[in-house]
Formats: sequence, C-alpha cells, structure tokens
Amino acid sequence: MSAFWLLDFVLLALLVASAGVVVWLRNLNGAVMALSAVGVLLTVLFVALGAPDVAHSEVVVGAIALPVLYLVAIGKARTDVTDEEDLGERGEGRRVRR
Amino acid sequence: MRLAFVVLLLAVGLAFSLSGAVGVLRMPDVYTRAQCATKTVTLGTLSVLVALVVGEGPVSNYGGRALIVAVLILVMSPAASHALLRAAYRTGVPMWRGSVVDEPRRMREEQESGR
Amino acid sequence: MTYAYLVAAVAEIAIAAVLVVRLALGPSISDRIVALNVVSTQAMLAVLLFAAYADRTVYLDVALWLASFSYLGTIVWSRYLERGLL
Repeated sequence: MSAFWLLDFVLLALLVASAGVVVWLRNLNGAVMALSAVGVLLTVLFVALGAPDVAHSEVVVGAIALPVLYLVAIGKARTDVTDEEDLGERGEGRRVRR
Repeated sequence: MRLAFVVLLLAVGLAFSLSGAVGVLRMPDVYTRAQCATKTVTLGTLSVLVALVVGEGPVSNYGGRALIVAVLILVMSPAASHALLRAAYRTGVPMWRGSVVDEPRRMREEQESGR
Repeated sequence: MTYAYLVAAVAEIAIAAVLVVRLALGPSISDRIVALNVVSTQAMLAVLLFAAYADRTVYLDVALWLASFSYLGTIVWSRYLERGLL
C-alpha cells in the first residue's frame, strides 16, 4: 500500500536537484529552462499527491506561461548600461549619465 | 499471461528510454543528441503505451487515452524535432568535429562558386 | 499488474534524473531544449502509469495536457531561437 511513497521521494529529490540547477546556472535562458523542468516535475508531484486540479493549473502556468513571461522580461531588459553611482553595478556596459 | 506481456513491454520501453537518456547524456553535439532523443524515446514511449493498451484493453479509459497520446506523439515528435534542429542550425550551433556531411553549406558553396 | 505500473512510473522518473544532468551542463540552448522535451515526455508517461496504478480516470487529462504542451513548448522555444519571441 505504501509503495507509492517511493514515487513521492524520487520526485522530491529530483525537484530539489532541478531547483538547485535554477540557482546554479549563470546562463539566463538555461535557468528559465530549468524552471520549466521544475514546473513539469511539480505537476507529476501534484498528481502523485492526489490533486489533479492543481496539476492542471501547474502544467499551464509553471511549464509554459511562467517561462514565456520570463523570456519576454529578459528580452525587454536593457543590459548595455550600468549604473555605477547609485546601484554600484560593475560591467563593461555604457555608463549612466545624469 | 497478460501480465507477462505487460511486464515484457514495460521492460522493453524502459530499456529504450534508458538508452535514449544515456545517448542524450553522452553524445558529442546537438544533432546526434536530438537523434537519440527522438528515435529511441519515441519507441520507448510507444511500447509503454502499448503495454497500457494490452493491460487495460483498448476500449477502456486508460487504453483509449494511451492510444490518443500515441497518435499525438507519432505526429508531433518529428515536427518538433525538425523545427528545433532547423533553429539550432540557423543560429550556428557547431557540429562535432568528426562529422563529415553538411549539405546546406555544401550547396551554398557550390552556388557561390558557380557565380 | 498494478505494481508493475508503479515500478515503471518510478523508473521513468529515475530516467528523467539522467536528463536533468544534461539540462544542467548542456553547452548550448538547443541541448537543454532536447533534454527538457524528453523530461516532459517521461513525466507524461509517469502520470499515465500512475493513473493506471491508482485507478483514477481524473488523472488522465493531466497526461494529455503534458503531452501536448511539451511539443508546443519545443516549438515555442525554437521560434524564440530563430527569430525572437515577439
């Protein structure tokens, strides 16, 4: 009867590993993709814990909508300017003038 | 008897999925990795779905849904893989240094030398 | 027969662990897309097998959503690679 906790624990270990990958990667696109993998694995975890409605919303939001929102935000953000005075950013971008 | 068939098909599907995963991990560049992923994982997925159809019957809920998913995978997996690899080739992902065939570059060079 | 389904579901998730390694250290974006696509397919199989193990027909819709959205996500990512998202 209690054999399905094996699926639960394997999913939890893989979920922690994927979340660690999100933090560990320096590439922004790779981090967004690992976030999508977290969404997919969290869907399986919700199904294994007996919540199929939460799994529905998780597969739509966590696996598709959230990475697309992050991609749009990354595309909109400007990375060619740095503010060295107030924020203390360092980089090879153009300096903010005021 | 039916249990033996189901276990055999599940074992075949898991073996193919494992070989596809090891291929994705070990192959040298994107194109060979996608080849491993598409072919072996499609076959592994299909044999697991056929195991569900055999175990539960083709007109039950589980078997019918497994057949729908099988048709979806057979239609969409080559299309998605083709789109992904075309995007990878156009953005200039390098091939493995031991690969010998690069048809678009050869055609482009012939066209330029013909002018 | 149901325990065979459960063991197969756990094994599919364990295979997905191999692919998360490739997702972590793939050198280009396309490697990560390939690995993510296979992870989604394995998760779909795990949901389908777990539905057959637990004998709940409600779980089957999640498998269908996962199957369709994994390939849709691959096509969206390849469009993003080729000419931008918007």
